[in-house]
Amino acid sequence: MSLAALRRLILIGLMLAIGAALAIADHVFFTMGNLMTILQQGSLTGILAIGFTLVMITAGIDMSIGAVVAVTSMVAVNFLSYTKIPVLLFLPLSLLVGVVVGSLNGFFITRFKLPEFIVTLAMRGILSGLALMIAVRDSTGFIQNVYIQDPTYLWFGGQVGPVYIVTIAFLVLAFFTQLFMKRTRAGTNIYATGANPAAARLSGINTTRTIVGVYIFSGVCASLAAVFISSQMMTAMPDLGIGTEMDVIAAVVIGGTPFTGGVGDVWGTVIGAIFLALLKNGITVLGISPWIQPIVVGGIIVLTVIADVWYKDLAEASAARTARRARDAAADGAAA
Amino acid sequence: MNVAKLKAALRLPAVLVALMAVLTIVSPRFLTISNLSNVLWSVCVISILASGAIYAPITGGIDLSIGSIAALTGIFADILMNRAGVNWLLAIAATIALGAFIGLFNGFITTRFKVNAFIVTMAAKTYLYGIAMVISQGGMKSILKPAQFLAIGGGRSFGLPNPIYIMLALIVISHILLTRSSFGRRAIAVGANEVAARLSGVDPDRTRMAAYSVSGATAAVGGIVLASLTQQSFAGAASGIELDVLTALVVGGTSLLGGSGSVAGAFIGAVMVAFIGNGLNLLNVPAPYHPTATGIVILLALIFNMGIAPRRRGAAGGKHLRRTS
Amino acid sequence: METKTAAGRVLLDCRGISKSYTGPQVLDEVDFSVDRGEIHALVGENGAGKSTLIKIVTGVTDRDSGEIVFAGTAIPRSHSKKAAQELGIAVIYQELSLIPGMTVAQNIYLTKEPRFRALRLIDIRRMNADAQALIDRYGFPLKATDRIDRLSIAQRQTVEILKALSDRASLMIMDEPTSSLTSAEATRLFDIIRKLKAEGISVLYISHRMEEVFDLSDRVTVLRDGRKVATLEKGKINPAEIIRLMIGRDLSESDRGHRMTRKAGEVVLDVRSLSSPGLFRDISFELHRGEILGFGGLVGSGRTELVRAIYGIDGYDSGSVRYLGKDYRPSVRAAIAGGIGFVPEERRLQGILAPISVARNIGVANLDVLTTAGMVSGRRELEFAKRGIALMNVKPDLPDMPVGSLSGGNQQKVVLGKWLIRALKLLIIDEPTVGIDIGAKEEIYAHIEHLAAQGVAVILVSSDLPELTRLADRIIVLRKGRIIKEFDEGVVSEEDVLLASSGIVEGERR
Repeated sequence: MSLAALRRLILIGLMLAIGAALAIADHVFFTMGNLMTILQQGSLTGILAIGFTLVMITAGIDMSIGAVVAVTSMVAVNFLSYTKIPVLLFLPLSLLVGVVVGSLNGFFITRFKLPEFIVTLAMRGILSGLALMIAVRDSTGFIQNVYIQDPTYLWFGGQVGPVYIVTIAFLVLAFFTQLFMKRTRAGTNIYATGANPAAARLSGINTTRTIVGVYIFSGVCASLAAVFISSQMMTAMPDLGIGTEMDVIAAVVIGGTPFTGGVGDVWGTVIGAIFLALLKNGITVLGISPWIQPIVVGGIIVLTVIADVWYKDLAEASAARTARRARDAAADGAAA
Repeated sequence: MNVAKLKAALRLPAVLVALMAVLTIVSPRFLTISNLSNVLWSVCVISILASGAIYAPITGGIDLSIGSIAALTGIFADILMNRAGVNWLLAIAATIALGAFIGLFNGFITTRFKVNAFIVTMAAKTYLYGIAMVISQGGMKSILKPAQFLAIGGGRSFGLPNPIYIMLALIVISHILLTRSSFGRRAIAVGANEVAARLSGVDPDRTRMAAYSVSGATAAVGGIVLASLTQQSFAGAASGIELDVLTALVVGGTSLLGGSGSVAGAFIGAVMVAFIGNGLNLLNVPAPYHPTATGIVILLALIFNMGIAPRRRGAAGGKHLRRTS
Repeated sequence: METKTAAGRVLLDCRGISKSYTGPQVLDEVDFSVDRGEIHALVGENGAGKSTLIKIVTGVTDRDSGEIVFAGTAIPRSHSKKAAQELGIAVIYQELSLIPGMTVAQNIYLTKEPRFRALRLIDIRRMNADAQALIDRYGFPLKATDRIDRLSIAQRQTVEILKALSDRASLMIMDEPTSSLTSAEATRLFDIIRKLKAEGISVLYISHRMEEVFDLSDRVTVLRDGRKVATLEKGKINPAEIIRLMIGRDLSESDRGHRMTRKAGEVVLDVRSLSSPGLFRDISFELHRGEILGFGGLVGSGRTELVRAIYGIDGYDSGSVRYLGKDYRPSVRAAIAGGIGFVPEERRLQGILAPISVARNIGVANLDVLTTAGMVSGRRELEFAKRGIALMNVKPDLPDMPVGSLSGGNQQKVVLGKWLIRALKLLIIDEPTVGIDIGAKEEIYAHIEHLAAQGVAVILVSSDLPELTRLADRIIVLRKGRIIKEFDEGVVSEEDVLLASSGIVEGERR
């Protein structure tokens, strides 16, 4: 069994164990409502995380996703409040926010060879102000909490039976993204660009286009998530989504996509996102202080990365040793 | 000093003067004493943090946890003094030690486990914030005593607010550390070419751990000053200050790839960042918009430093920050 | 498999190729051709121009003058890697062009994966099947689904060859392809090369290994100092003859060889049975005060690994080292404290801190002396720097100049200088004069000889044969990690060293 599969198995096992423990500890946990909520929360983070996964596979990082969520929700709410354009028309338009931001990120990163982290962090700063600028205000200039009442819009935050729409959307997105990554040339090119950009270029891959592409995808995922988040909350505020970056990183990292790029799996991220949602839900259900959450998230990220790096070093060292022994033995045979 | 060098050295101050001119035109209130004393505390805090945080990029890394360290240490100092009754001087010493220790911990993880500095410090930023929240129960607490502590931020000596002295002292110390100490030489060497540095007898791991430790220590000093100035301790204090500090460093000429940095430049950068924030305030642009301006500034500064005037990529260069292309 | 060919026997025809960077001609009017289905070897010493010629053919760099015609198509001066690839010229690297996390099949078909017509999704089954068919056709023990990072270097090389084949290459260029292979793997590679030849594909390879050249090639072209010296046909190829042509200096009195001298005196370094599996095996030698011990050998023979282990950067598995008569555990710290200096092989990557000033470069290795109570005296550092600059005659003599702006020769002087101003007992130098002008070379030689005259022991690793034979008092030749020959008396010529490096000792092949 491959390492990735093993990891997923362990995670699922852990989830079941934690789930069982929580079910015993508190009756509230094991209700359909709560379980579906876990899936829903996981889906919201997860949609963001899917876009982020592709960026990580190219060994990059996108710190602007939270701000993209904010701006997109502001754009949507503006459409809602000030225009008569039907929801189904303006929502796709809102996704353009992600496209534009992603293009800009990709441009600065590739054209000027700037560090991904700083560029997207700066973009985040810029966008957070932008979100404020376009926020809906009342007559005195104060920012208004727009209550979303449009039923089409609210449908996105609703359910089909017990299952949330966003969960379905998340899984569908995951499926198609995975298909794209593993079964198309473009997807393969993304892996190649992340694993060994020089070799990718030698093989004729346009790494610039690939990198810009993944940032656009990340932006679009963020915009998409904005729709679901604002719909579910029935309102949108200019700081919506800001601060979710760490959760997204945690989901991706737990799921097995390393910062070093080249490998990664959308299904791993799916499991990571749900795992994280489960943990957070457990914390709430058990009545533990919500402030524990950042500690858990930050701690998990560090520990997971340490474990991954450590394991990789171990594997590399042992492989190197075997290779050297083999060469040495063979040289023995030759020189003797 | 030849003409070229003089021109290069004057470039940054010239930009600062230009900025001040623009701000004065835009808002005549800018150059008044009352306004400038408002900017002061912002300059002080950013500059204090920057004087220690500079060592992380010099060694080729980055420290994103300084804001959280500042907030946590403010809370810690308050608890020591007001709940545990510790003498204020001792409390300050212990707090700075805590900051240094947290920095050391970050440095340890990044060197021992070979994990990217930005992941380590970014995660630290998160969990330290959580710890600060837990300890403070999510609330903002006023610090009303001891008086000596409050004097650090709020008091004056010889007519000038105390934070200025602290800021200047740290700038001088950091400058001396960077340009004249063995540690400074080693940090620069490690950032310029880790392999060559190692061959010359420098221990990159130890040097890096020391760098992050220094960064954490100055973050603690900044946290103390901030808590004293605002007279409160609060887990969300100094949130977002990393972007300001980074901008100050980049504008001041510190390369994010490692191997070069300027404390004086970082100070001017801090002044510029603070001025921009102040200018926006004067234009009635509320605080939440400031990151927009900072973001634009750092992008422009980066493009200028790295894109148009590209630097060589050293052997260790940028490993802690980027891996594409 | 169809290769991109047009009619005609000559596949690659180069005429009058010349190139210079800044300074001496790297290539001077070289005429050179490769026929279809020919195995053609390109040999020459380091710096003879082989790599540059290859770079020109493959589009990595442009020639200054001359014509190149490939398969009937003229290649313009502004050649590119992409154009070369499309014409059918493929270069087999060792690591550079494969994606580690992917399988053999994925690597072979990267950007050309077979797809279902319907959804344009990759047809994995067909990709694997096609790849396996290709693999089986050449009888390689590989599976299409093997992951690259689990394969040995020899296997990865095979995958690169397969990739070139699937790209319809008609000319495959290999640069020292066997340097990381075992004998068995090398033999397998030769079989592959012969199979390629049988299919009409030409193979051009650079090698220092005479037995390969002898066994494998149809023709051999010898380059020397940027000029083509000869092209020999199979049957007329004789390893010793090739070596003579490679070196070919007029055999005047001084060139007949250098006399080796055994130095008596205190044993500075005593190495016993030092081994690091896969890198070097069972190395033992003694180094005396004031002695220059040269290490010769081909690329990959283990010399650099050995000296790095002695200096303490890398470890070793077994054996012992005694320094100045005492048991010694190599570490960089102990080395510097104990008076050992190290000039690394790659100046730019390992030797200099490029954006940092000359003064600081010199200072960084001398921090122990310059530091008091954690502070470095700027004045003393400058003093040291000036001393170093004066001693080494660094030009320009500006202590504040960033080292990266100096010429190669001056950079090396700085690297060397930072050690020479210390009280050294042992200096290890790995390839002291690569890419350095004649003037600087001579200055560096003078310093090395002066050092030895003052009683400092020197370990000199060099692939520059005149340099090695001229400077060294004794020469140890490594081959495949072991000591194959020690020259410690009598007269030794460059040929002797090269023959030994190639495993030809006393007329027999080893």
